[in-house]
Amino acid sequence: MNMKLKKKMEPWLFLLPVLVVLLLLFGYPLINSLIMAFQNYKLTAPNDITFNGLENFAKLFDDQDMGMIIRNTVIYVVVSVLGQFLLGLTLAMALNKPFRGRSLYQSVVFLPWAFSGFVIGLIYRWSFNGEYGIVNNLLMNLGIIDDKIAWLGTPGFSLAVVIIAMIWMGIPFFAIMILAALQSIPEDVYEAAEMDGCGVVRRFFSITLPYIKPTLISTVLLRTIWIFNSFDLVVVITDGGPANSSQTLPAYMYSSAFSSYDFGFAAAIGVVLMVVLGLYALIFLKITKYDKAGDF
Amino acid sequence: MSRHAKRNVGTIIRVVILVIFFLMVVLPIYWIVATSFKTSDEILDLQNITYYPHLFTWQNYADLFSQYDYGVLFKNSLLVSVTSALVVTFLSILGGYSLARYKFKGKTAIILFFLVTQMIPGILVIIPLYIIFSRMGLINTHAGLFIYYVAVNLPFCAITMRSFFERIPVTLEESARVDGCTKLQSLFKIVLPIMFPGIVSVFVFGFIGAWNELIAGTIFISTPDMWTIPVGLKTLIGKYNVEWGLLMAGGVMALLPTAVMFAVMQKYIVAGMTAGAVKE
Repeated sequence: MNMKLKKKMEPWLFLLPVLVVLLLLFGYPLINSLIMAFQNYKLTAPNDITFNGLENFAKLFDDQDMGMIIRNTVIYVVVSVLGQFLLGLTLAMALNKPFRGRSLYQSVVFLPWAFSGFVIGLIYRWSFNGEYGIVNNLLMNLGIIDDKIAWLGTPGFSLAVVIIAMIWMGIPFFAIMILAALQSIPEDVYEAAEMDGCGVVRRFFSITLPYIKPTLISTVLLRTIWIFNSFDLVVVITDGGPANSSQTLPAYMYSSAFSSYDFGFAAAIGVVLMVVLGLYALIFLKITKYDKAGDF
Repeated sequence: MSRHAKRNVGTIIRVVILVIFFLMVVLPIYWIVATSFKTSDEILDLQNITYYPHLFTWQNYADLFSQYDYGVLFKNSLLVSVTSALVVTFLSILGGYSLARYKFKGKTAIILFFLVTQMIPGILVIIPLYIIFSRMGLINTHAGLFIYYVAVNLPFCAITMRSFFERIPVTLEESARVDGCTKLQSLFKIVLPIMFPGIVSVFVFGFIGAWNELIAGTIFISTPDMWTIPVGLKTLIGKYNVEWGLLMAGGVMALLPTAVMFAVMQKYIVAGMTAGAVKE
């Protein structure tokens, strides 16, 4: 092999194992699922698998709850991302200056990041229990409410509990990412700004934000995608109830796949999810001009 | 307001914020731990919710261990999490190095491909894999779970590893190469030791991702002797819908290992993420 060709192949050799794993374990199954989305594929009737055109997709949009499920999904994603982002930013800013015991403090406050969504779901389901829940108890003792609220049995409230759990779970990830970005800002930039008489607010908007913008963009994008696709909290806390009022699209896909074993229908929902996410990422990267920065 | 007074106000605000976040994280954790040490009579007392266990009991933990072989669940979880995280870390080093250090055609496409893998809903991969795995005899094996965990945790870890590499000055390697090191030698002897915090972080990401995974576990594994911790715990919900003490004890036992690991490794993770201090 001549030197030039060898040089050209080098980065690909390093990447080869990663690419093989991802193509085999994402690419191939994904093609299978794409085909399934256009099939009458029920695990309960394995000998009766036929192509049925767009029937799965038609069924999806015929569902009378679909409007509500889409609305829930949008609320769930937007409020969760915004909440995690704002609280994560606040925490990171508060952690940016060193203080005694900071490392220990971080070990505690970042913990939810290491926790499983399933167990977090259990904690919130138990805390917001209408009869025995600690949340009702505290609110009543503080005189904020007079009667117990059936959090998980009331449309609106049940979705709110899922969102609160999701925000709680995701703050550390944002905080760690933003903290890392904050610490890469050279100290002298701030000092110079302070000399020039820049106030706190001005410094935040003209120094801090521009510096951490790339981190914010990639973190928000990644987090949005993860939250959009996650359904463990919905399944554990409310199971979509009451009457689908806290149901989201991915949770709905999960239950169609594993309670009715209608894989074709589940695959169709999955394809719709992917298309929506793809469009979102495209628009997001265009608006933030992140694609031109060449990082994604 | 004088400059000094302003500083003080800033400090007070910061302390208040830090205390609020601390309580926000600690209180729910306190509640699951407190509940796990209560008797079921105390848990289900409608008149009086106790803020700490008045009748402290280990009974829920004893029940958990008598009904489930927690030792086996722990061993299974540890096996798939450690092995998959090791492989993920190794592959991420290779892939991340390539993406950070080379300019080549198709690089942007590969990074986009990584991003796209994150958009694929898990179910779309798990269902076909179930069918493929059952043909290959990988259902109800840890090998099947291991393969899946390597794949799902790889894209994020490889991208993270790439950004760690980008923070290490190239000049360091170049001088090693001048001294006669090959590319691989300079990678393993010079670069990786500096990147230790980053490597630890990626390992922890891979480990926690696998340790906490539930859905693939429930679908690929069918017999109790092969269960991982979350899979075993999930069966508690179906069987004992109101046994909150038992459920909370199970939850504590599931969280404990990652919590300890994370608390110990946290400083490496934050250091790894903030390694930007090493400037070119």
